[in-house]
Amino acid sequence: MAQDAQKPQKSVLLRTIATPLILTALMVALALLTLAVGSRPFNQTMIDIFVRVILVVGLYIFVGNSGVLSFGHIGFTCLGAYAAAWLTMPPMMKELSFPGLPDWLKAVQLPYGPGAVLAALFAGVFALLFGRVLMRLSGIAASIATFAMLAMINTIYANWESVTAATNSVVGIPIVRTIWPYMIGAIVAIFVAWLHAVSRFGLALRAARDEPTAALASGIDIPRVRLVAFGLSGVVMGLGGALMAHSIGVVTPDTFYLGLTFITLSMLVVGGMSTLSGAVSGVVILSLLIQGLRWLERGVPVGNTTFALPGGLQEILLGVVMIAILARRPNGLFSKEFAWPFGARDRRGPALAATQTVPEGDA
Amino acid sequence: MGQLEADNISVAFAGLKALSDVRLSVTPGHITGLIGPNGAGKTTLVNVLTGFQAPTAGAVRLDGHSLAGLQPHQVRRRGIARTFQGGRLFRDLPVIDNLEVTGVGLGQSRRAAIAEAQAMLDWMGIAPLADQIAGTLPYTDERRVAIGRALMGRPGYILLDEPAAGMSAPEAAELAALIRRIARDLNCGVLLIEHNVGLVLETCDHIVVLDSGAVIEDGPPAQIRASETVRHAYMGTAADSALPVLEVME
Repeated sequence: MAQDAQKPQKSVLLRTIATPLILTALMVALALLTLAVGSRPFNQTMIDIFVRVILVVGLYIFVGNSGVLSFGHIGFTCLGAYAAAWLTMPPMMKELSFPGLPDWLKAVQLPYGPGAVLAALFAGVFALLFGRVLMRLSGIAASIATFAMLAMINTIYANWESVTAATNSVVGIPIVRTIWPYMIGAIVAIFVAWLHAVSRFGLALRAARDEPTAALASGIDIPRVRLVAFGLSGVVMGLGGALMAHSIGVVTPDTFYLGLTFITLSMLVVGGMSTLSGAVSGVVILSLLIQGLRWLERGVPVGNTTFALPGGLQEILLGVVMIAILARRPNGLFSKEFAWPFGARDRRGPALAATQTVPEGDA
Repeated sequence: MGQLEADNISVAFAGLKALSDVRLSVTPGHITGLIGPNGAGKTTLVNVLTGFQAPTAGAVRLDGHSLAGLQPHQVRRRGIARTFQGGRLFRDLPVIDNLEVTGVGLGQSRRAAIAEAQAMLDWMGIAPLADQIAGTLPYTDERRVAIGRALMGRPGYILLDEPAAGMSAPEAAELAALIRRIARDLNCGVLLIEHNVGLVLETCDHIVVLDSGAVIEDGPPAQIRASETVRHAYMGTAADSALPVLEVME
């Protein structure tokens, strides 16, 4: 017994690093695949996947660890995207689109990289401000309040004409077509999420999610650990927004509203809300599925006829597949983190995942 | 030497008095028992002492200072720990992480919290449980892990809410030994809430009896054992000569 206890503990970082490394390898593999295929539409598809990985991982940081469903995070993506536009567009085009911006900001024109970093921090600051109020709420009240926040941000950006060009499309954002910055963004998001999850803040937050009363009695300040996650996820959502703006070159407020909110939440839930592995694979799997269905909708030549799905069937089939997955696996596809396939696994299992399926019993 | 004190605590839920003018104190190194029939208000008092329930009147004092207005996590950080009926472990986490969470909640790094958790499991003699998922533990182990979790960070006081519920006599005896070690070796003030009156009579230095939210008796075990009022509260009659569960620990 004593020997067992004395067994030197590997640090939490070493014990769990397999997860971000495997996910990073997956990202690099997707980027290399894109190079190998070499087609421009495929390149754009992959860029979209990387951007969504950033967004869904950003959601996971808060939603996965806290268990509080947020409908508001795409608001931070909106903040990040417009901040990137303010920082990287040529001054002349800003004069046209955003005459109300302060002169110093109009004069600035940053490369997209530093612009994205500042945009991410800008979104993070707002996440902290909103979070100060929202993190005191729990359950459905918290979810509805995050939705109200999204609606507020959308309304402001859709009406503040001189600073956001209101509902007009903002054009002139430098478009970045190479896949690497998006891949790097996704990997950064994965490592940020992992470091948070294994930090004392991540552990405390998962404890508060699973047994809030006991967490309080353990000295955990629940609003505070939630706020840390909310701010950090705001930064990642902002980064995703900035890169999304550079991937399409155009922003409107409604790009960052209900549609994007629901697709990113679906990817998180289908993949597995409580694990980083689930968040990333949810994006990859659902995105490939969507792409495959679109391809079938467009028509596949077989011999001298073309088989095509009726238009609109893509959305319906996607919904059916999602329901089927959730019916069979209510916790999502991956409720355990990825770990090394052979040997090296610690018998404690990945400490990152706080939700493993344990038979329900009487307390 | 300080103490944890319930100073004339009253709690009313929608006009219904759950506690009225309850006085009780817990001293470091000593074990105070709190017994009483179901619905007497024992758990409500624990909730008040740990900040989960604000008293309608009266105050909780730690070393003479009122704890009014503190959140439960702030009360815990001042060294007043508790366990819950039914354990409330973090069921999906391994045992060691259950203890580690408290260390982290008290502001330790994960590394320091893991080290203390390991030492605590050793001290309690349950080190082999470290890697088991808490939700898979048998009942008695669950209780011990909950106590270990509460002892992280060496609290000055620990409030045990029915730790022996469902335990066999030998298991309860083992628990009694652990509780004595907590008071003696850790110089912790223990408040023991139990239905197992035999366990309380045997373990505690001082016992408070609650009935219908009021203290009906307060004194050393011999006084409680002999009390007509206590017997009456438990049996609803003064006719019987012994408390019903008195012999459990023999």
